[in-house]
Amino acid sequence: MSMQKTPQTPSRRRVRSEVKTPLTPSLLSAFNTVSIESPIKRATSTSIPLSDAFQRQASAGVIRKGGVESRIDVVTLDYVPPPKSAEVKRSRSTPAINRAERDRFITSRDHTLEVSATLDQMSLNAPSGSPTHTARLAAAAGVPLNRRILGYHLPPPSASSDTTLALQREFARPLYANRPGAIATSTGATTNKTRKISTQPERVLDAPGMVDDFYLNLLSWSSLNCVAVALESSTYIWKADTGAVVQMGEAPAGTYVSSVNFSNDGAFLGIGLGTGEVELWDVERGVKLRTMAGHQAQVAVLSWWQHLLSSGCGDGSVWHHDVRVPRHKVMELLGHSGEVCGLQWRKDGELIASGGNDNVVNIWDGRLGDAPVGGDVVATGNAKWTKRTHTAAVKALAWSPWQPNLLASGGGTNDATINVWNSTTGARLHTQTTPSQITSLHFAPHRKELLSTHGYPTNAIGGVVAEIRDAHDSRVLFSAVSPAGDMVVTGAGDESLKFWKIWDIPASDKKSKASGRGEGVTRSGVLSIR
Amino acid sequence: MAPKQSTRHAITLKGSTALVTEFFKFAVNTILFQREVYPSDDFHMVKKYGQVVLVTQDLALENYLEKILQQVQKWILTGSVTQLVLAILAKDTRTTLERWVFDIKLVEPSADSKEGTGKPEAEIQSEIRAILKQIVSMVTFLPVMPEEKVFNILAYTSDSADVPAGEWVDTDPLAIEASKSQQVKMRSFSTDVHRIEAMVAYRYEE
Repeated sequence: MSMQKTPQTPSRRRVRSEVKTPLTPSLLSAFNTVSIESPIKRATSTSIPLSDAFQRQASAGVIRKGGVESRIDVVTLDYVPPPKSAEVKRSRSTPAINRAERDRFITSRDHTLEVSATLDQMSLNAPSGSPTHTARLAAAAGVPLNRRILGYHLPPPSASSDTTLALQREFARPLYANRPGAIATSTGATTNKTRKISTQPERVLDAPGMVDDFYLNLLSWSSLNCVAVALESSTYIWKADTGAVVQMGEAPAGTYVSSVNFSNDGAFLGIGLGTGEVELWDVERGVKLRTMAGHQAQVAVLSWWQHLLSSGCGDGSVWHHDVRVPRHKVMELLGHSGEVCGLQWRKDGELIASGGNDNVVNIWDGRLGDAPVGGDVVATGNAKWTKRTHTAAVKALAWSPWQPNLLASGGGTNDATINVWNSTTGARLHTQTTPSQITSLHFAPHRKELLSTHGYPTNAIGGVVAEIRDAHDSRVLFSAVSPAGDMVVTGAGDESLKFWKIWDIPASDKKSKASGRGEGVTRSGVLSIR
Repeated sequence: MAPKQSTRHAITLKGSTALVTEFFKFAVNTILFQREVYPSDDFHMVKKYGQVVLVTQDLALENYLEKILQQVQKWILTGSVTQLVLAILAKDTRTTLERWVFDIKLVEPSADSKEGTGKPEAEIQSEIRAILKQIVSMVTFLPVMPEEKVFNILAYTSDSADVPAGEWVDTDPLAIEASKSQQVKMRSFSTDVHRIEAMVAYRYEE
């Protein structure tokens, strides 16, 4: 509602100016003045003039020490000042006390209750007058004095976004305290009865030159079972079925690959560069199809939905590129003041979530504007939800595969908290504090579990049920889940890729999905990727 | 079902007190949510009075309200509390922005209505529902409060009330200057024993 001052009714203003004409102090004319001065009041007020005047003063908060009694005598003789309450500015639709009978919200109570708070304050004030005066005042206003106002001795708890309080809570409630049967072993593996995961990687690949940068996204696993990894300026594809390695070209001199992402069908690879270009590659043929320029800063994250390739840029913008049309930029989402480092389409393309270095998580409507916009103007979107709960950069984002409106987001070093959101209502459903920076999140495809990877100091891969401590020698930066949903590949600052068997494929799915899982994965040992 | 209905009619002082206390819990939660005293993420939906009410999940706040309401319940039971006030203050300046006032009145049972005239619980619930809905609708005209806010709950008790030492202390009424405040009376509800009248006063200047 607008809080702007609105003009008062002209009639009232005119009446007030009439009042200012000099008055003779005779009783008769004083009586006349009262009636001229406020015709509205006269129409509604049935009380005698004396208490009427008192009440008006009372509601206007002008009861002064020693003033009331004398005023009560004087009111019949002299000019009655116009009530202060007439000057209260109010917006048109706001009901107010003096228009009592005209609005259904309006109080019909007597005015004494409304001044009671003011009177109470006075009665607590020591120098506010003699006790007899206070008693008379109270009796006149009908306010009982033998009353106490009590408040609870503690202040209410401050809001939970308070970081110091969040820190205290973190100490009070250790992360895995409520996990049943949790046993920490000397090898660092913590398991419980229901779930046991191997703490040894199935396979290790060398990835020399992998950039140790939290904000980049250099790892992707396609639905055709290929793993793409960017090592400085080159992008390599490791085919999990055969173990073969193919180089996908090189970034232009002077720049580096800042993000890779496979399209949903696995046929195309999007590559974001440090200079702001987004390249589109045909995975099968290994050729570059097009370069989509326009971003002014590093493209730190990419996410596909069908023909739309969305890119998160260092300047805080998210662009939707339609890879089929020459004018590729079809929409712009502006909602971050820091670098966008997390971006994730929901499977059905209805929503897209973005996280940035400004600690904000935005959830956007995935639909494009239906009218094509001409010229250089593109449609811009508005965030459906903006969440500022995190206290560090949000890189890790994951949509739940089994509950479409669940979004998990994880914050960086200062935050280290996983929040689970309901994208329909915007409510925060769950909050999990973790010991360290969250670099990526995945929902288990076949189980009700959430996998997170972490940076310093634990360098762990962990879910709420199990954890692999010191999975890498350096912080785990990137991760991707296999198309079959059993393996997870992690990339870390120690320049290696490790493949972990985290989940089992449910028996019913095994037959149909087994072909998707490469037999090469079961071989162990260290291979060099280049 | 008719005989069961009639047994429910006779609402006792204890039952009425519990009902009133419960109403305060949901009313306070609704106000804290609607006036954004606490971040809306902290609230989750609960079905109550045949509608959805948002209740805080913040453990510290839950416990805080619980402690206050326990004492309030005792006071209502002894009839020593006449008014409950939820004041919303600006965090930095400590000025009162809104006062949500709930008058608690004891209803004198009339001599001829010893039994059978009791209010069915469904009717009480629908009155409560109306108040909660009204609180929600208040947001449409109450001034926006962009600053950070804190709240405070005041209990107006009689002189003779038992006050747990150290826990409850005499305080300022946190009144809004009468010239800068506007009041809106809200709906009321009543059980056979209590009558709750609600109103809100808010700071409104310029």
